[in-house]
Amino acid sequence: MQKWKRFAFGFVLATLGLTGLATAEDYTSLPRKETLIVENPEGTIKNPGWFNIWVNGGGGVSTGLQQLTMDTLWYIDPEQGLGGAAWDNSLAADKPQYNADFTEMTVKLRKGLYWSDGVEFTADDVVYTVKTQMDHPGMVWSAAFSVQVASVEATDPQTVVFKLKKPNSRFHAIFTVRWNGAWIMPKHVFEKVEDPLRYDFANPVSLGAYKLKAYDPQGKWYTWEKRDDWQRTSLARFGEPAPKYVTYTDPGPPDKRTIAQLEHNLDIIHDNTPEGMFTLKEKSKTIDTWFPGFPFAHPDPTLPAVIFNTQEAPFDNADVRWALALLIDIKAVDMASYRGAATLSALGVPPTAATMKDYQAPMQDWLKDFEIDTGKSKIKPYDPTVGQQIADILRKQPKFKDQIPTDPEAISGAFGYGWWKPNPKAAGELLEKAGFKKSGGKWLTPDGQPFKIRMTVEGDTRSVFTRAGTLIAQQWAAFGIDAKAVPAAKLWQTALQPGDFQVAIAWSVETWGGDPDLSFFLDSWHSQFVAKKGDVQPPRNWQRWSNPELDKIIESIRGISADDPKGMELGKDYLKLVAKEMPTIPLMSYNVFTSMDTTYWTGYPTIKDPYTDPVPNWANSRLMMVKLKPAQPK
Amino acid sequence: MTPYLIFVLKRFGQFLLVVFLGVTITFFVTHLTPIDPVEESIGAITQMGQSDPNAIELMRQSLRELYGMQGSIWQQYLHFWLRLATGDLGPSLSAFPTPVSTIILRSLPWTIGLMTVSTLITFVLGNAIGALAGYYRKDMVLKAVSLVFIAMLPIPYYILAFVLLIVFGFIWPVLPINGGYEMNANLDLSFALVTDILKHSILPALSLILVGAGSWLIGMRALVSNIITDDYVVFAELGGVPKGKILRSYIARNAMVPQFTGLAMSLGAIFNGTVITEIVFGYPGIGNLLIEAVHAGDYSLVLGLSALSIVGVAAAVFIIDVLSPLIDPRIKVE
Repeated sequence: MQKWKRFAFGFVLATLGLTGLATAEDYTSLPRKETLIVENPEGTIKNPGWFNIWVNGGGGVSTGLQQLTMDTLWYIDPEQGLGGAAWDNSLAADKPQYNADFTEMTVKLRKGLYWSDGVEFTADDVVYTVKTQMDHPGMVWSAAFSVQVASVEATDPQTVVFKLKKPNSRFHAIFTVRWNGAWIMPKHVFEKVEDPLRYDFANPVSLGAYKLKAYDPQGKWYTWEKRDDWQRTSLARFGEPAPKYVTYTDPGPPDKRTIAQLEHNLDIIHDNTPEGMFTLKEKSKTIDTWFPGFPFAHPDPTLPAVIFNTQEAPFDNADVRWALALLIDIKAVDMASYRGAATLSALGVPPTAATMKDYQAPMQDWLKDFEIDTGKSKIKPYDPTVGQQIADILRKQPKFKDQIPTDPEAISGAFGYGWWKPNPKAAGELLEKAGFKKSGGKWLTPDGQPFKIRMTVEGDTRSVFTRAGTLIAQQWAAFGIDAKAVPAAKLWQTALQPGDFQVAIAWSVETWGGDPDLSFFLDSWHSQFVAKKGDVQPPRNWQRWSNPELDKIIESIRGISADDPKGMELGKDYLKLVAKEMPTIPLMSYNVFTSMDTTYWTGYPTIKDPYTDPVPNWANSRLMMVKLKPAQPK
Repeated sequence: MTPYLIFVLKRFGQFLLVVFLGVTITFFVTHLTPIDPVEESIGAITQMGQSDPNAIELMRQSLRELYGMQGSIWQQYLHFWLRLATGDLGPSLSAFPTPVSTIILRSLPWTIGLMTVSTLITFVLGNAIGALAGYYRKDMVLKAVSLVFIAMLPIPYYILAFVLLIVFGFIWPVLPINGGYEMNANLDLSFALVTDILKHSILPALSLILVGAGSWLIGMRALVSNIITDDYVVFAELGGVPKGKILRSYIARNAMVPQFTGLAMSLGAIFNGTVITEIVFGYPGIGNLLIEAVHAGDYSLVLGLSALSIVGVAAAVFIIDVLSPLIDPRIKVE
């Protein structure tokens, strides 16, 4: 070896010794036909050897840890789910059983489930999970248990009884996975640990169908291997998981993700830019997307909206909020933000496949008849043809014309039903009703000051919504309002939580997705939780809006079980109320541009077979493992 | 006590004062930022689906206690020094409860490797060309080379980094532009892995070397230009001593004394990392770590990294100060 090579080798070896770069089996040496490669949107994990998911922030979560190795009592899929229902009894054998006043919940567990080290899963694990977290403040679910649980006991190896401190018909939500949930701890591992808060849970024992095989000591990838005894896990009810190995990687920025998938080295991209998605659809013949054509992306059960700080004048006035809504040209906002690839929602609920059926479609007639009084006239603001109009605009683009659906129902499903018509005249009347005046082409507030609005946006960390917020501010400015978009780093922490904003573009509505029960977010909108001006607002009511009618609806929902059909009627009451009051201006779904390469695997979830959310950091994406099929012979 | 010992003790006192003030300023600056690590954690927990306001408030109190953030900022400051005095940088707040030292040690060798090599190459290259250009002042090639390096000097190193990234990553894609090694690399220690790591360091190192060499070059050229008019150099030339020997033994050796002082300071500043270069090239060093820590409001990690940097620079200055009287006969301790 030449001198310089010896020197270089020696130097790097010394460096490697310092980094603690341990030997890890390279995932590309695994048989590709048996390996599913998935993007981990958390990027490179700063603390890669930490697997104790019960301590917040310790390490990665979407590395496959929560999707493949964790389990809990129930799941509600954001989509249809396997077995024909979004609800899934996972470790539990049945739905939760409450007593009459919702102060006690009994859970029956499945038999025959085992941890990956051969120890049987029992009610003791559930009891241990709750008690350990209550005893260790700072663990992820410790506060939630401490606030609610009076006692928990295993009455037999398959039965757990919770006694609650106060009635709660949704206590089971804490053990119900949407994106994540209170995962069950392996008692036999943690009871030997001195401090569960400081235990890294290296070589994690798994209750899921996969176990850890290897990971990059620098945190760029994790590989999981199917358990030999996968039949002894809750997922086995749906069949055998197909991939023998699943790797979650950090493929880098959108251009690198796109290239990796074009080269068939990345089976699932978690999220891409709209432009990256268009490139993939144009250049690859093997890409599956949620919608086969425009808008391609999956509508997450999250509702981006213009959020008013209703504790600040003049945004405490519904007439002003409505005036601002009537100044928005949603088609232009849609084109500027998502390039048209969005599903619109005029209602305060995300337009997922399930809510389209449960709320959006049934409320179309109400929306068409809905009137607002501007003080000078009554108008019907709803335009039911906006989705169709967007489809028509996109069809004119040669690049996309063949990908735009023509069936009206498919158009509504993809682009949404309708939205509010821009109506500057009515907006002006509403402002005048609120005491505003126009002078020299500019609007003045009731006390004669220029009407200034600062629209807080996240900047380049969420560029799609920054583009939307900027355009909305421009539309208001064109009407004579001194409106500007201002970026805020860490929007949630620096603006929404402390209430340090006038108007922002963000979301305060998240739903289960596949289930019509709106309590997931609505309970926290009760006026009992609205912070005083200047204090930190607890999630999720960032608009700090309170209304006695809303409180009544929430209290009624609290008093019935989650699957009571009355819940959907109360949900509609909420939607009618927020349409009248407009505390936020709902815009569209949070579309996630997930793409799935079919070179090695087929059977991904799509709108044609919506068995789960395709976005692979959601824990219920484990369902994909049993639906995937190898595309090539071994 | 000898005058030299008194001098060393005084300088050591200054060293301690600089470290104390530097760390204190960093402590208060980090704690006055609007980003709060507890709220960061609460945000993450909320994302997991928890929204019961009563539970969130309880969690907020628990985390404040767990992260050592209860009490006034002065109490936290005192607690911080007490902990630091025992060598404990505390747990990272964004990767709780992993110790800050563990996280820093994972990233530090990457920065040390990149910065040491690029600083030494920059030093050797800049000084060699500077010495030659100062001595052979009429040589057109040396003039042209010097001009190129001097022209690059005002370019911010991150701009050059982006140019290199575009040229060698996209237009002529021959070098890796992201990470410390290929993501799919087999991590068994092998020549292939070493080569891979070196390849990944070329562009970040080049962005530092091309811009950094110019300042060494200018300094060295000026020093040489002064020395060549000194009597002993003139006598040597008149005495027929070969030019190469004059440059090596008579000029360069004398000119290098202040340059080595600069080198020691540059090496001390290695712990600052090269934040933007590491971000541009996704290099897994402490620069990247620092930005992540700032974004996450991870006071402990920011303080740990800053303390390392402050101690590194202050120690380098201290060592130079105490060694200078021993090396350079022109410096006398009164």
